[in-house]
Amino acid sequence: MTVMITGAAGGLGRAFAMECAARGHDLLLTDLSAEGLGRVSQGIRRLYGVRVFEKSCDITDERAVDELIAYANGAGLRLDMLLNVAGLDREGGFLERGFGDISAILRVNVEATLRVTHRALSLRRADGRFHIVFVSSLASMYPMPLKATYAASKRFLLDFSIALGRELERENVSVLALCPGGMPTRDDCIRAIEAQGFWGRATTTALETVTRRTIAKALRGKKVYVPGAVNLLFSILGKVVPPLAVAKLVYRRWSSVQKKLA
Amino acid sequence: MKTVVVTGATSGIGLAACRELAKLGYGIIGVGRNADRCAGTAEALQGEFPEASIAYFCADLSRQAEVLRVGREIRSHVEEKCEGKLRALVSNAGGVRSYYTTTEDGYETVFALNHLAGFLLSHALLPCLKAGGGRLLVTSSASHKGTRVNWRDIMFRRRYNPLAVYKQSKLLNALFAFGFRDRFSGLGVSAACVDPGLVRTEIGLKDTGGLVKFVWGLRMKRGVEPEVPARAFARLIDAEEPPRALYYRGAKPARHSRQVNRKNADRLWNLSEQLSGAHREEAKT
Repeated sequence: MTVMITGAAGGLGRAFAMECAARGHDLLLTDLSAEGLGRVSQGIRRLYGVRVFEKSCDITDERAVDELIAYANGAGLRLDMLLNVAGLDREGGFLERGFGDISAILRVNVEATLRVTHRALSLRRADGRFHIVFVSSLASMYPMPLKATYAASKRFLLDFSIALGRELERENVSVLALCPGGMPTRDDCIRAIEAQGFWGRATTTALETVTRRTIAKALRGKKVYVPGAVNLLFSILGKVVPPLAVAKLVYRRWSSVQKKLA
Repeated sequence: MKTVVVTGATSGIGLAACRELAKLGYGIIGVGRNADRCAGTAEALQGEFPEASIAYFCADLSRQAEVLRVGREIRSHVEEKCEGKLRALVSNAGGVRSYYTTTEDGYETVFALNHLAGFLLSHALLPCLKAGGGRLLVTSSASHKGTRVNWRDIMFRRRYNPLAVYKQSKLLNALFAFGFRDRFSGLGVSAACVDPGLVRTEIGLKDTGGLVKFVWGLRMKRGVEPEVPARAFARLIDAEEPPRALYYRGAKPARHSRQVNRKNADRLWNLSEQLSGAHREEAKT
């Protein structure tokens, strides 16, 4: 079994790579940072001895993705799973950001993710089942002032994922949307979680558990995974509470968190 | 003048050890993670001991590339300024995390920082330790007792428990000292680990939160000042004879866990070589 992971040098991507390697899967890893990719690939090889193929790639660049796919073809790789982890999260008000930052969120989270998915499907085995995971977010469940673009981009992935899953059922492809709350991927994330106080901790789910269950659920053909009981409750509330009221609440919360972090 | 390398040297036990050693006339090479704190500490120590030779190097030791880089830098510094000789390496840097996190190498952070970093750095500085008839001192802790190495899942990917991870890392420290002694005492480099006792340091407050922070805050109140274990380190380094025992509580030999044995030490040594590439040439140059 071979798994392709985008954003593999980042916190969540790295954890997914370790999880897959621990299961004995071979890996095709990609990330913007060639250096980071080299480090994590070396670590995986040393720890688990699986085959790791690595190629750095700016997935927002059409030609770079072409090269990535050509590289995989050249290595004779056939894929069984794609984990779309690469994504951008830049917080702040719409007017506090340059438009470049805002369009970058859309380019990476939406356009590039779909590009990679479209191309990677051409690498699936003729006879086997193929699994796709989109890393959406708990933020996809409601409109989020001060993270408006990010949350909307993750909403896109959630809806897209569900729709695509239905469409590709007859192709023997399963699609899972992962909708996690905060995850302690790096030391600065831990500090951010602490800044949110009780609710930060309550919505935080352990990285190692999320990665393990995500892979297990993807293999079982699940459609949506919201890790953590509190998060699941929030996601259900997101469906019944009117969006205007949610937006009001979220706005109040993020304003105070941002003050604490500043 | 004799020179010592101390990691985790900008706060807690490491900083106090630097101060005690500078007092005894040792040249100090400190390693810290934060550049500002390194510069500030170096300046403060130099002010306190105007005669002493004090140099600080900044490195995030949880990252192997950084360990290798700072190891190279320290080696050329020692070759240039200290005739290539080191009296001691105090492998002291360590931390706790509330959650499972990975380093850029994909390894669990506490495993990478508390154990693997010291393993790799000791290999990088081995030529200097050999030349100086040096000693390796590792900061372990009584918390290494009552636990075993979780060989099946040494990075705790299954069930992350901050206390269990920390306890294991301190057991690994003792096993590392055991393995190091076995391999290098014939070459004139000795090794021991030191249990500093319960010390009032901020180890449990950095990059943690919630329960870990709360419990450590309570424990801290009962701890001794870092000067107490620092004096033990200084005594073990300053003594004519290299440390005879493997495990010290303060400066006195003490009993360690039965898990600290050759079988476990060899197993850890092989795994550490595999994970750090320390036995390969690139780590040595």
